Amino acid sequence: MSNQNMQTREEIIKLQSVQALRQTMDDYFSRLKDATETGRKKIAWCTSVGPAELLYSMGFEVYFPENHGAMLGAGKNADKYIPTAVAHGYSPEICSYLTSDIGAFIQNETPLQKMGFKSVPKPDILVYNTNQCREVGDWFSFYAKHFNVPVLGIYTPLGINELSAVVIDNISKQLQALVPELEKIADQKFDIDKFREAVNLSHDGCVLWREVLETAMHKPAPINFFDAAIHMGPIVVMRGTQYAIDYYKILKDELENRIENHIGAVPQEKHRIYWEGMPLWFKLSSMAKLFAKLDSCIVASTYCNSWVFDDLDGNDPFNSSALAYSKLFIVRSADAKQEVLEQLMSDFSVDGIIYHEAKTCPRNSNNCFGMQSRANSNNKIPYLELNGDLNDPRCYSEEQSVIAIETFIQQLAGN
Amino acid sequence: MKYKIGIDLGSSYTKGALVDENNKLIEVRCVKTGYDFNRAANKIIDEFKVNYEIQDPVFTCGYGRDQLKIPFISNSEIIALSKAVFDLYKRKCSVVDIGGQDTKYIKINDQGQVDKFKMNRKCAAGTGSFIEEIAYRLDISTEEFNDFAKQATEEVKINSFCTVFAISEIIGMIKNGTSLPNIIIGIYNSIVSRCVEMSPIEDFLVLSGGVPPRHPMIVEQFKKIFHNLENPENSQFLAAYGCVLLNN
Repeated sequence: MSNQNMQTREEIIKLQSVQALRQTMDDYFSRLKDATETGRKKIAWCTSVGPAELLYSMGFEVYFPENHGAMLGAGKNADKYIPTAVAHGYSPEICSYLTSDIGAFIQNETPLQKMGFKSVPKPDILVYNTNQCREVGDWFSFYAKHFNVPVLGIYTPLGINELSAVVIDNISKQLQALVPELEKIADQKFDIDKFREAVNLSHDGCVLWREVLETAMHKPAPINFFDAAIHMGPIVVMRGTQYAIDYYKILKDELENRIENHIGAVPQEKHRIYWEGMPLWFKLSSMAKLFAKLDSCIVASTYCNSWVFDDLDGNDPFNSSALAYSKLFIVRSADAKQEVLEQLMSDFSVDGIIYHEAKTCPRNSNNCFGMQSRANSNNKIPYLELNGDLNDPRCYSEEQSVIAIETFIQQLAGN
Repeated sequence: MKYKIGIDLGSSYTKGALVDENNKLIEVRCVKTGYDFNRAANKIIDEFKVNYEIQDPVFTCGYGRDQLKIPFISNSEIIALSKAVFDLYKRKCSVVDIGGQDTKYIKINDQGQVDKFKMNRKCAAGTGSFIEEIAYRLDISTEEFNDFAKQATEEVKINSFCTVFAISEIIGMIKNGTSLPNIIIGIYNSIVSRCVEMSPIEDFLVLSGGVPPRHPMIVEQFKKIFHNLENPENSQFLAAYGCVLLNN
């Protein structure tokens, strides 16, 4: 870089679909708000890789605290709330989604207040799946006690290598066992056909989301990780509904149009990067600008690719849900994860990989367990380890990280 | 003859290297960075200007690399340091750079390119700040550290990663009658441990940064683990020098 002869750089061209995304998310929150205010529909809280299809099929509006946690992070407010949760006995070393979410709740603040909510939507029931982590159980139990409502859990074994019939059958039975408990709260009886329909909608939404992500196999990639982290909202909170499908058709059309017109997410894509681990929600925008300035596009990520559940099948809804949700990257064995990572790095033609070690989410930070060395000895793709966090900015050093990223890109360019 | 200047604007110190047209390092200067990168850089440039005609732009690296108001070309300090080290040794090697706020591990291949690098985790452990904090608590100057370390009779272990907790640990040692030299060598060993855990180091190791020349006993402690090691002259100025070499 120089302060002489500053090059005029092309501007990042923003995705037009963001308008439709905003509308889709606004409508989702409007439905939740309506349910909160009128009581016309029951509200279930669900973990982001929990049984959303089952809940939607039984007439619940579904609220996702992890999505709320990400909103707090992206809004750069998490550090205002984490200390409150810590003061109430939660360690600053555990999931900062949890601590920022519970801290905000204790302070009676939420970004949803800008949309007219008084507080987060009061749950009638909470349902979690431990496929992501054990913290979700603690997190949901806090709210179950506070609101005096039932909390149900699906317990998925960790480190699944082979997706054996025993594992799938176990999860499937746990899913089925939820039904009578949910029926006690829901306004309607379980209807297998509605569940099949929700599972099929979820499948179709996931396929579209995968196709959206796969457009980044093209050079230049029409979408990058920072876009995808924002545009994944519908697949997280509206999986199992037509709304997600409708939105991803719009986004996919725009990306295909970009490919035809050679429009890249990064104006002058020279380096293609894989992002392993969670986003730094509080740095999404500045990171996007930094990588664009370095002519580097983050073309694929474990995080965004984790919401592709294309094993879902309405013909066998319980078993296929069990399979899809146990196939989730984070719950797999180190060998299975490495296979997935290496395949993605190859499919997306990446030059380098960044491992984000999130201080409060070691399970989502595979460099904590030596993945970087093992993958590198196989595929020789250079890597960078970045210390940070999903939500807690106190775990992140901006200056040090920028130097590391700039150096890494120079390393990829052959110094 | 016009001379080129490389400036490494670090968190604690700003280092300047004056280089002639044959890329020979002629002089070095070091000042405290303080709160104003421009003031620190200008002080160095003005000192060089007394005896030499200086060429524009200057070449920069470090935290303040893009802050100067005079014409500059900025570089990654890791790439600059690697360039200078390879220029010096012309062989593949590992570099451990111990600075005021950062510790870096760099693996340089036999072409002089960076194959891999790593920076310390976001805390002071293993950096010059660690020594400064402890010196403040013990009410001795950092300049005295090395002489105390030479008098050590036993190598005590300081386990804490955190500087504050390390100080608590040291207070416990003081209460138990551990001698100051033994504590200081423990502090040095703690820095060595933090560096060693950054990466496996398999080949020739170069120690750089401001800490090793100020604390030669740290270099000696490194030598107990790595027999093939050098701490070159002007190791604190290598990144500044490398900035110039990179822009040839």
